[in-house]
Amino acid sequence: MIRATARKICMLGDFGVGKTSLVARYVHGTFSEKYLTTVGVKVDTCQVARPDGTDCKLVVWDMAGRNGVDALAASYLRGASGLLMVADGTRAATLRTALDLLMQARAVVPDAAAVLMLNKLDLIEHWEIEPLTVAELRNSLPVFETSALSGDGVVRAFAALTAKLPA
Amino acid sequence: MSALPPPVLAHLQHTVLARLHPTVFSYAADGRFLGCSGEPAAFGLDADPSGSADLLRDLFIGMDEEAACELPFIVLPGGRSTHLHRLRDGEGFHILLLDAGDEHARQQAQQQIANEETLAGQEKSKAIGLLKRIRSDLESERSELEEANALKSALISTLSHEFRTPLTSVFGYLHLLERVIGRDPNAVQALRAIQRNATYLFTLAENLLEYGRGDSGTALLHPDEIDLLALARDVEAMIRPLADDKRLELVFDIRVREEDRPVYDELRVRQILVNLLSNAARYTVAGRIGVGLAFADGQLAIEVADTGPGIPPEYRERIFEPFNRGGPGGRKGAGLGLSIVRRLVQQMGGQITLDSAPGQGSRFRVELPQQVRTGGADLVADAPDRTELWTRARSAIVVDDDPDVAHLLESLLLDLGFKVEVHPNAADGEAAAARERPDLLLVDVHLSGSSGNALVFRLRAQGYRGAIVTVSANASREAQDAALKAGASAFLTKPIELSRFILTIQRALQRGG
Ligand SMILES: Nc1nc2c(ncn2[C@@H]2O[C@H](COP(=O)(O)OP(=O)(O)OP(=O)(O)O)[C@@H](O)[C@H]2O)c(=O)[nH]1
Ligand SMILES: [Mg+2]
Repeated sequence: MIRATARKICMLGDFGVGKTSLVARYVHGTFSEKYLTTVGVKVDTCQVARPDGTDCKLVVWDMAGRNGVDALAASYLRGASGLLMVADGTRAATLRTALDLLMQARAVVPDAAAVLMLNKLDLIEHWEIEPLTVAELRNSLPVFETSALSGDGVVRAFAALTAKLPA
Repeated sequence: MSALPPPVLAHLQHTVLARLHPTVFSYAADGRFLGCSGEPAAFGLDADPSGSADLLRDLFIGMDEEAACELPFIVLPGGRSTHLHRLRDGEGFHILLLDAGDEHARQQAQQQIANEETLAGQEKSKAIGLLKRIRSDLESERSELEEANALKSALISTLSHEFRTPLTSVFGYLHLLERVIGRDPNAVQALRAIQRNATYLFTLAENLLEYGRGDSGTALLHPDEIDLLALARDVEAMIRPLADDKRLELVFDIRVREEDRPVYDELRVRQILVNLLSNAARYTVAGRIGVGLAFADGQLAIEVADTGPGIPPEYRERIFEPFNRGGPGGRKGAGLGLSIVRRLVQQMGGQITLDSAPGQGSRFRVELPQQVRTGGADLVADAPDRTELWTRARSAIVVDDDPDVAHLLESLLLDLGFKVEVHPNAADGEAAAARERPDLLLVDVHLSGSSGNALVFRLRAQGYRGAIVTVSANASREAQDAALKAGASAFLTKPIELSRFILTIQRALQRGG
């Protein structure tokens, strides 16, 4: 039997929303302006403290941006205990994509915990998402406004997901 | 299928293996790492492969352990793209790594172009949307300008209205004086001077009033049956003293049949006549002013001819512009008369023509079609009363990292009866506002390390419904739009001016809360 000490979480969202950047910010504390689209999956690991004081190892799957869960994506998702849905606040359509993807992903990993990151908060002046929409969304899942550029909200979002991971 | 010939096999083995760098990590049934063969370094993995072994194993978490399993295009922390295969071997298993770098690079390049094109397309349509918005902003700015213009006009109307009443009594008393003054030539001359100037003032006031009405004046026409003879007599009484002063001959020629009942707005026709005649009287040095009034076939023709200096062709159009001073011979005056005549004529659907040459005098001819009688009352829209807002003590939170501004805002709010809490940093301010949900939140846009707009957005996204006033040193429309879009109820620019501050807060409280 494989010892399940590590937890798999997947970054899922439309392309260019900042999945790779959020992981880079969270895991390595770095940010790059340059856009280099992800092909397949980029994996990374890190340690996080759980609310109960224990440490937990996360394997972060940074998946290529997409707008639907196809067979390949489903095979990547299998075994995930957490889903980090990411949307780009400056593009309202990416929020719809994130919610679509969440629904489809739930068919593959029904028990996975999920949080939603609304990224690019530093560009709030160009956001297309209404605050009221976000207030509504909060009724169905935890939502975090984040910025991979400034780091705003990133740790909080990852911590919230970690706390929600099923035991 | 028969086996491939040995040389082919050998070649394949050589080239394919060289490209794929097959590398194998082996594990026991419990997941313990047993060893590694192949080229881990080709995948950017440590020289001590046991460090990477856990990660590779953990990538298969939750996957069916019995079946063979493949994960294509996995970019490992070392940066190399890999096809991963998990292969069972008795109780234990192997993880086979095959290099996918070349394929990855190809796909990456394609996907990059496609994504960037899509993003550029979205940016483009956003930019177009922005342009459209700018255009509609410009349009609304223009309508604001028009509004300002209307305000100016209203002001002019009010003022000229105020002139009318005293002038009416001036004319009344002038009449009275004329009858009692006797023959003292000095007194008569003085009276004439007063009459002349009062007439001038009167025309000026009437013209200003008309000008203030703007182009919407059409709605203000009140056509009714008019008595052309009586009208002509009135106007003559007004102009006669001006003509007499200069010893000008003033001749009226009125042609209207007894049974005709022309329908016009009397006030407007009078205004046309007075303007044309007072112009003629003013600019004609010697000679004659002839006035023709003829009504026939539903058409009123007004003709005013003088023996004045005449108007050169190049001034023909300009004299009809308001406040035009470019007339020949240093003409002076309010410069409104002819422009108003033309406007009135146009409003009534008529025509004005000018026949003139320098030294030959001028002949203005106006033709007005019969009007249709109207009725109806003017509607006056009353603005609703604003309700008082400071009825109960309210709570406010100020988030500003500039202590001076924070203090100023605090004291202003205290004066207005608010309970005030000040927070110098965004995080504390956000937490306090989320916790206490004050009636009013004042946020500076430029907080160190964070944007006030982001704070506002987050609070609104948490369901905070109180009034939010965003304060900024940037007065641009973009800054204001951004603040309002993030969820602010109102926007205030620095330096803070008390009356605007109070007004803004009132509005914000009305809107939010
Ligand atoms: N201003 C700003 N830019 C960001 C932020 N996060 C990401 N970006 C930029 O957005 C672009 C896309 O970021 P990525 O992290 O590559 O996006 P992704 O979701 O991984 O994209 P795919 O891999 O194609 O799905 C890059 O140019 C980043 O620099 C952010 O929080 N603020
Ligand atoms: Mg990416």
